[in-house]
Amino acid sequence: MRNLLDFLKDYYHWLLFVFLEVVSGFLLFQYNSYQGSVWFSSANHVTGQIYDWTSSATKFFTLSEVNEQLTRRNLLLEQQVEMLGRRYVALTHDSTAQERSEMQFLNQYELIPAKVVDNSLNSKENLITIDKGSADGVAVDMGVACGSGVVGVVYLVSSHYSVVIPVLNATSSRISCAIRNRGSFGYLHWNGGDPSVAYVEDVPRHAKFKLGEWVVTSGFSSIFPAGVSVGKIEQAYNSRDGLSYKLMIRLSTDFTNLRDVVVISDKSIAERAALLQAARDSISSK
Amino acid sequence: MTQLLNRLVMFVVLLLVQVLVLNHVWLLNVATPLLYVYFAITFPRNTAKGEVLVWCFFLGLFIDIFSNTPGLAAGTLTLIGMGQTYLLELFVPRDSVENLETSAATLGWGKFSMLSGILALAYCLVFFILEAFNFFDWQLWLLRAVCSAALTLVLMLAIESVRSK
Repeated sequence: MRNLLDFLKDYYHWLLFVFLEVVSGFLLFQYNSYQGSVWFSSANHVTGQIYDWTSSATKFFTLSEVNEQLTRRNLLLEQQVEMLGRRYVALTHDSTAQERSEMQFLNQYELIPAKVVDNSLNSKENLITIDKGSADGVAVDMGVACGSGVVGVVYLVSSHYSVVIPVLNATSSRISCAIRNRGSFGYLHWNGGDPSVAYVEDVPRHAKFKLGEWVVTSGFSSIFPAGVSVGKIEQAYNSRDGLSYKLMIRLSTDFTNLRDVVVISDKSIAERAALLQAARDSISSK
Repeated sequence: MTQLLNRLVMFVVLLLVQVLVLNHVWLLNVATPLLYVYFAITFPRNTAKGEVLVWCFFLGLFIDIFSNTPGLAAGTLTLIGMGQTYLLELFVPRDSVENLETSAATLGWGKFSMLSGILALAYCLVFFILEAFNFFDWQLWLLRAVCSAALTLVLMLAIESVRSK
């Protein structure tokens, strides 16, 4: 007994060491399936609050640049709307129909403005923290976009903060997107490294596109509405198995300077998800 | 008592500096300074090993909580804390006092740089391999670890040179 106690006294730090390493290992491996708890992430209240303070302090330094970007984007969109509106009226000779369809579109989606309080770029699995949570109507699996394009998908939600998986998360981010005006679609995937370059994979061989064309969200996943900008095609490669194209995309969202984002809440998501589940159940029961 | 207070202040300062400033540094797309290793390196010679481990674990855990990587920094920093207690013995002069401070002033610049260089490199190697978790690109891994370790070492020596005055 005495020997045992002596032994413990001399070597207790090894036991402690193993214990702490096991705890760390447990946290490390459990995190991905740890959806329920926001305690060990930056969505918890204390860390969220600290990030909030610092981001409100640093915000001022980047504000003018962000403003300029938004103004430019706004101008472009205004011109586009103007042009499309004229075309639409010319084709249908009905100027109220357009207004009606616009209202319908806006009714379907609710936009929740939010501020980015923490953003990382230098890991393979980046995450973003925003300052809106379940109390503001944010729920898991909602899409997040900013003025210049798509940002990511909500992953964890606490009452006042949420963690978003951005496009720049090599293991978890797969956003369905399509080539604008062409319809061929694929999956957006980031490989790590440069935060302004990502890849669209699984684009079918018969797809037609030109370098410099825009890639937008496809609207298939019900996370994003169709037509949110993703980026411009910079290069096209054959996929490894030769069955599809892999497109290199210059992302339109500047992840290095991300402040104001909107969470896109689609009221029809629940309905669509229920329908999809019902379809799956009926297939599997056969 | 003052030592405990010192540690606590260092803990908070390193934590905030790391999560608010240094985590966003990404020099040439490869190097991120992981300055909080300095916390593990500077434990005085006669600190109980268990104490070092607990301090290191909690600093790592807090950093993890802020950067959404639970277990990553905690595990690695605990490992480095353990390494420090053994490695330090090889570097202290033979006739030195029991509670020798670990700093450039007491060990000499050469030995201190060597000690912190080894520990910082070991930290970065383990940290980045756990982060990527497979050898998906071992050259990038090595490059990131070495560059980050170098950057961390430069920062630590800068702090030392201010403190030793």
